[in-house]
Amino acid sequence: MTVIIRAWLLAFTTLAVDLGGRPITQLAPPGTRALILFFAASDCPISNRYVPEIRRLTRQFEPLGVRVWFVYPNPSDDAKTVRAHDAEFAIDANTALDTNQSLVHMAHVTVTPEAAVFVPQGSQLREVYRGRIDDRYIDLGTERPQATRHDLEEAIRAVLAGKQVPQPGGPPTGCSIVTLQP
Amino acid sequence: MKIANWVPWLIVAAALSAVQAAPQEPAVTWSRQIAPLVYNNCTTCHHPGGAGPFSLLAYEDARRWGSQMATVTASRYMPPWLPEHGYGDFEDERRLTNDEIALIAKWVQTGMAQGDPSASPAAPTYHETWQYGTPDLILTVQQPYALAASGTDVFRNFVLPYPLKQRHYIRAMEIRPGAPQIVHHANILIDRTASFRRAHPAEWKAGVPGMELEVDTGNEFDPDSNFLFWKPDTPVLIEPEGMPWRLDPGSDLILNMHLKPSGKPELAAAQIGLYFTDQPPTKKPMLLQLEHDDALDIPPGARNFVVEDSLRLPVDVEVLGIYPHAHYLGKRLEAWATLPDQQKKSLILIPNWDIDRQSVYRYRNPVFLPKGSVVHMRYLYDNSSANPHNPHAPPVRVKAGNRSEDEMAHLWLQVLPVNTPSKGPDPRLLLEEAWMRNWLSKDPNDIIPLYNLASALAGQGKYQDAIVAYRHALALHPGDERTLNELGAALENSGDWQQAQKVFKQDVASHPETCNARFNLARSDLKHDQASAAQEQFRAMLAQCPADAAVHSGLGVALESDGQVEAAEAEFHAALKIDPQDFTALQNLGNLALQANQPRQAAEFLEVAVKERPTDADAHQQLAEAYGLSGRIDDAMNQLHQAIALSPDNPDLHSLLSQALAGTGQLEQAIVERKAALRLRTNDADDWNNLGVLEAKAGRIAEAREDFHHALQLVPDHAQARANLQRLPPS
Repeated sequence: MTVIIRAWLLAFTTLAVDLGGRPITQLAPPGTRALILFFAASDCPISNRYVPEIRRLTRQFEPLGVRVWFVYPNPSDDAKTVRAHDAEFAIDANTALDTNQSLVHMAHVTVTPEAAVFVPQGSQLREVYRGRIDDRYIDLGTERPQATRHDLEEAIRAVLAGKQVPQPGGPPTGCSIVTLQP
Repeated sequence: MKIANWVPWLIVAAALSAVQAAPQEPAVTWSRQIAPLVYNNCTTCHHPGGAGPFSLLAYEDARRWGSQMATVTASRYMPPWLPEHGYGDFEDERRLTNDEIALIAKWVQTGMAQGDPSASPAAPTYHETWQYGTPDLILTVQQPYALAASGTDVFRNFVLPYPLKQRHYIRAMEIRPGAPQIVHHANILIDRTASFRRAHPAEWKAGVPGMELEVDTGNEFDPDSNFLFWKPDTPVLIEPEGMPWRLDPGSDLILNMHLKPSGKPELAAAQIGLYFTDQPPTKKPMLLQLEHDDALDIPPGARNFVVEDSLRLPVDVEVLGIYPHAHYLGKRLEAWATLPDQQKKSLILIPNWDIDRQSVYRYRNPVFLPKGSVVHMRYLYDNSSANPHNPHAPPVRVKAGNRSEDEMAHLWLQVLPVNTPSKGPDPRLLLEEAWMRNWLSKDPNDIIPLYNLASALAGQGKYQDAIVAYRHALALHPGDERTLNELGAALENSGDWQQAQKVFKQDVASHPETCNARFNLARSDLKHDQASAAQEQFRAMLAQCPADAAVHSGLGVALESDGQVEAAEAEFHAALKIDPQDFTALQNLGNLALQANQPRQAAEFLEVAVKERPTDADAHQQLAEAYGLSGRIDDAMNQLHQAIALSPDNPDLHSLLSQALAGTGQLEQAIVERKAALRLRTNDADDWNNLGVLEAKAGRIAEAREDFHHALQLVPDHAQARANLQRLPPS
């Protein structure tokens, strides 16, 4: 995967806003070794079931220079809804409202939950992983009792170890991201 | 020229107006096609507060989820429905047709148009509380259960004691799971002996982990009759007419729940709402099981491991419902019946088993299976890593067990015996016998089927066979308290009461803490005129099991037969204080009131007694007497008719009915009943005398004279017959 986002472009485009409506100008502050965007929807059950896993990864890897964002791309997820949802699910990580779905386009994601991993390279962000969090959900309606392969975690570990990043073993399963109406 | 030019213009205009008149709506809209489909198939779960994760009541909701709707209906993940169409015809088949699925796909592809809102049917309404109205009784789990935000699914059993002091029949049940979106399904078991609660004294309030559980059904034959299975799309379980289920004081309900973590901590305080009926069941179905857990020894990697069982039906039945059950390795579950003419009748086929979507399935029309039909189950299991549900990675050898990572091979049927001969044993005992013999053919030394088989035989009055089976069970499990007790009871019923008392005494000596054998010994003492020995046993029991109504009423009977009427009455009242429906106490208090010439009071006790045991002819007879003495002749006759229906060969009943009929001037009917009594008891001088009186009143003097002579032949100094004879006009 070789999607490269030019950092200067980020500085001039409103990628997303925070829960106070302020534009987010810096997704990955200096020193970030990996940027994780976790695309979520407050009304998607599978997305919600992954919240504890993302919180676990955040706690585990943030001290190692990994920056995690909960990104809400659906138009129905306005600031009020997301604030309530974050409180309900005890989400204390960085939260972005992807109001014009720039981050969706940047990461090329299609469903919630889905994760994208970017590595800063100079003034650019390079997407090194995009897809499922683990293999618990194989399809809507086909679920393992527990995950046997933790794809996202393996990708993060590879980035931190400077190794080749393994790609997801299967497609992401969840709720389609709602297309913005023109 | 001009005229000619007009023609095309007209044609164009006509064509334009045709285009404008055509509807602007796309072919498929929410209002016309999709809303009716969604309201019929989706919104029982997908409404605000429902079990579905989101609502589909409004157009905006459906539009939000349209793309998912197309995907999950195409894959048939939704609506949830496992059985293959055409293999059993089920009520509430929640399955879309191919055309309906295509319609949803087309709606999504063409932009999910709303169409004319006025063309949409009104959205169904759902109550935020009880869907079926306020229940007669609400039971709540003792402690709300805190489900962790993440992890594997949780299977937990919550005990809800039945708090009332009266028996009730339940016509409907609703479960409010507390947090609907985390509850996949729930099964309710009736624990008639509170055995599970006693086995888990420290844990039952908080819930006991486990996917399956066993409860002790007690000493009496009282098979489970109804499926009490709950799933989100059927919040209310309404039993068919005549088939309510029963709850007695001291029983527990056990709520066996499958919970799915939601991503945040959840607190589930499940509630069960019960709706009562005064009408006891008129039909008695039974839950029957096929299984072969012992065959479950699935090597890792096995992809098509087969487990089978079959059971020959000893009576005609109607199959009302079916519940196939396996855990995560189950793959293809099938059941069918081979009829006596070798015809195969499919009962169910689940081609892609998924424990998360398991259910009880009720047939739209009962499936008739004649006696001699063989029910088969054939389950396939996949213990390879290709089975995504496999709880083990890598796969390991799996055997039967109660944990979710163990396996099960069960098939439950709800059957209603039909075409039952009016005389003969309860057909459910024959089904129980067949079931237990089948079980023993797979595991000859298992105490449970051995014991149950013996009980089923004893219940049919086959005491000698029962004694053999109990002795067999005792040989395998020497000194077993319950088996000894039941052996004693079978011996007593077979007429060998001396041997029975020996066995009861052996049981009492080796298990002084239990009351069952002591109770039976005391009853045997009572029956064989050993009232003081009985009193001694009952008093010993009172020290050990003071809250047992039957002990008090038994002691009452012992005291009464010893002439201690006041003390007896006190014991009967003590029994009723514990269990207001204790039959022995009610009947004896009724009798004592009759003897004390208090027929109204007697009727009060006996009315409850008759309700409690409607098949007891004696109680009907006593109630008839109480009514008769209170001047309620019609009620008395009604009771006598019921008693005669139960016990047609009892001459006393015909005699009493004749008396009542005569009292209301129904002379001819009275004569018929008196003659019926005399057919059963030809040597009763009083009956002949009474018949003579009736014949005389009816003007049949010659017949009357013959009757009085008949009485005098039997008892030459029968004063009334002689006086009546003299009163007759000369012939």
